[in-house]
Amino acid sequence: MTGGGLIDAERRSFNRWALAPSLIVLFAIAALPALYLLVVSLTPFQLVNPASSTDFSAPLRNYRLLPGDPRFVNSLFVQAKLSLWGVLLQVLFGMLLALLLHTPSRFVEIARTFFLIPMVLPPIVVAVIWKLIYTPDISPIYYAASLLHVTMPSLTSSVDFALTAIIIADTWEWLPFTFLMVLAALQTIPEEYSEAALVDGASRIQIFFYVTLPFITPILVISAMFRLIDSVKAFPLIFLLTGGGPGSVTEVTNYYAYLLAFDFNEIGYSSAVTIVMLMLVVAVSFGVMWMGRHREAMT
Amino acid sequence: MTHKKSTNIRPAGSRRKLLQWAAALAAATAFPLPVIAQTKPFAGITLRGASFQHRFFTLLQNYIPEFEQQTGMKVDLQLSAFPVYNQQANLELSSGGSAFDFVNVTFILAARWVAAGLLTNLDEFTSDANLTPADWKPKDFVEGAQVPYRDAKGATYGYSWEGGAMVMGLSRMDLMEKKGLKIPKTFAELQQVCAEINGTDNVNGIVSFQLHHWCLPPYIQGFGGNIFRNPPSDIMPTLNSPEAVQAVEFYANLLKNYAPRGVLTYTEDQARQSLLTGRSNIFIHSSSWVTPILLSDESKVKDTARVVRMPAGPVHDFPASNSQGLGIPKNAKNKKAAWEFIKWALSPGICMRLVKEHGHSSICRRSVIESETYRKLNTVNGQDLGALYLEVLELPAKGENYMAYRTVKEFPIVGDVINKAFEQVATGQLSARDAMNAAQEQAVANLRRAGSPL
Repeated sequence: MTGGGLIDAERRSFNRWALAPSLIVLFAIAALPALYLLVVSLTPFQLVNPASSTDFSAPLRNYRLLPGDPRFVNSLFVQAKLSLWGVLLQVLFGMLLALLLHTPSRFVEIARTFFLIPMVLPPIVVAVIWKLIYTPDISPIYYAASLLHVTMPSLTSSVDFALTAIIIADTWEWLPFTFLMVLAALQTIPEEYSEAALVDGASRIQIFFYVTLPFITPILVISAMFRLIDSVKAFPLIFLLTGGGPGSVTEVTNYYAYLLAFDFNEIGYSSAVTIVMLMLVVAVSFGVMWMGRHREAMT
Repeated sequence: MTHKKSTNIRPAGSRRKLLQWAAALAAATAFPLPVIAQTKPFAGITLRGASFQHRFFTLLQNYIPEFEQQTGMKVDLQLSAFPVYNQQANLELSSGGSAFDFVNVTFILAARWVAAGLLTNLDEFTSDANLTPADWKPKDFVEGAQVPYRDAKGATYGYSWEGGAMVMGLSRMDLMEKKGLKIPKTFAELQQVCAEINGTDNVNGIVSFQLHHWCLPPYIQGFGGNIFRNPPSDIMPTLNSPEAVQAVEFYANLLKNYAPRGVLTYTEDQARQSLLTGRSNIFIHSSSWVTPILLSDESKVKDTARVVRMPAGPVHDFPASNSQGLGIPKNAKNKKAAWEFIKWALSPGICMRLVKEHGHSSICRRSVIESETYRKLNTVNGQDLGALYLEVLELPAKGENYMAYRTVKEFPIVGDVINKAFEQVATGQLSARDAMNAAQEQAVANLRRAGSPL
């Protein structure tokens, strides 16, 4: 082995030892529970029957039952709709808001701070705020509508509006995240590009599409990815506002998994639902990361 | 003289002291320390209990220091929100935990816990005269409220501290009288009254809340159907029977046409408030939620309110009832101390104090409910609410136990399916027939998946 090779090998060995504690901790707090979840999903474990937690006689039974479970299949579609619309609106409005507030001004700085409030509120507080807004008896929106002699339907118990109501509340809560990310990206764009484009006679819209957008696109993709993964966790809003209803209109997969585990005691089946959900989230994350890399390679 | 006198006193003082010491020594010999300690046999024990938040426990906490003083033990009572408690207790009991010495035995989980052997048989305590004095009277508890806490052999695993009897509250009798309407006694009359009152003076005909698997079954049974074929022995769901479909259609129409907007997401509190402020004329629910229309200072309709039996169906008159009990986990560390607490908390004395000092009426001791004190406190505008409460609470124990559907361990699974199906009908997603056919299929599939023998 040459001297350089020896040094490389020693460096690699040192890196491995240096990384080992972090990897062990990561394994203990992330991989072990996931592994346990996977093991439990292979059993018909029910809380009232502890012996069932070690029954591996039909390990794939839960997974075979999933495609035939209409509530599970429906919950995937509801989740897809919620995630798609939620992320789309959060990225779009977050970007618009950032563009609007990307101005050096004392007032705008205060406004920026103000816009961050929803994101830092505990999720259950956000749910309570929207519960008040959506309750016809006490909501100022309904009161205003009644003054105008307009009869509004109850949004959270309406088939047509219940999911939209959740999407609106979720967008309100998480829009500041994309706003903050895009604002940070906007502040890194050198002024010269826009000025040069202006000198060349480009309009504001052309500057946005040909100068600003290419700069902030990677940030938009990353924000969307984070929000997409996080949108699976819209539990408190659904729990408090609709309880998954009316019927199963707002019943997303994690809410269904929660009901299975804690209301029906079907821990094994609930674990299988959770594993499928986990795999979907991982697949989406890899897909988005692949798209990001693919795009970078193309540019 | 003086000096002489003082020298005379000194020996007398010493003698007194000597006598005092001798008496103390004699007492210590006659009643050694362990015996003195036995007057507080549970000294040093910290008793851990859990339940969901309820007025009963809030009031009971005022008396707990007295119990601690009497027994020498400390009571650590953990109260959580209803769903949180149920999940926590279910997990704790199912995993054989010993974190709690006594727990609330929730009505809808009682059968599951009793059948799985997760609770201690309390007959072991009540049958022992050393542990339970005769005047505690286990049979004094209203029979209908005790049914959920017994196993197939009749052994008792809980004693009820709260009874819920489904009654009907009417807030605007003045409007009804103006329109020449009488208190509805049948489902048909109920629909008529709701239709006539709805919209008059901005009043809604009826109000309800989101726990449909509690509110709907009396209609299903009233039309002659049931949730299961023959509970508790035959738990095959019967959700798509013609009677069940008819009931779902009837109740959904009531809420669709005569209830406030958003009633499907109403909580019990919202519904109660709607009744107490007179915004809704009728609310059918447990007495503790309805009787405040006459008893609470919050009520704005005391003068125009009535509380009566809920209307009867064309086939049966089965108003729902339930109860909540106190029990001891199978693996509890301090079972005798826990029984001491249960015995004290549900004693006739404490029950009577709750009634007299706080007007808390939903207790389950017959002797207290039938007492003159209780009657006086719970008779408002000539309406004997205690008699009504007792009448409904006793019904399941008379003849057919029609509340058996709710005490089988499969009920939570089927109850959730009922909730979903009813909402689909009430929001126009599906017809009653289609929704209940799908519900039946789903309920059977869910029960089979959970390993229930059908």
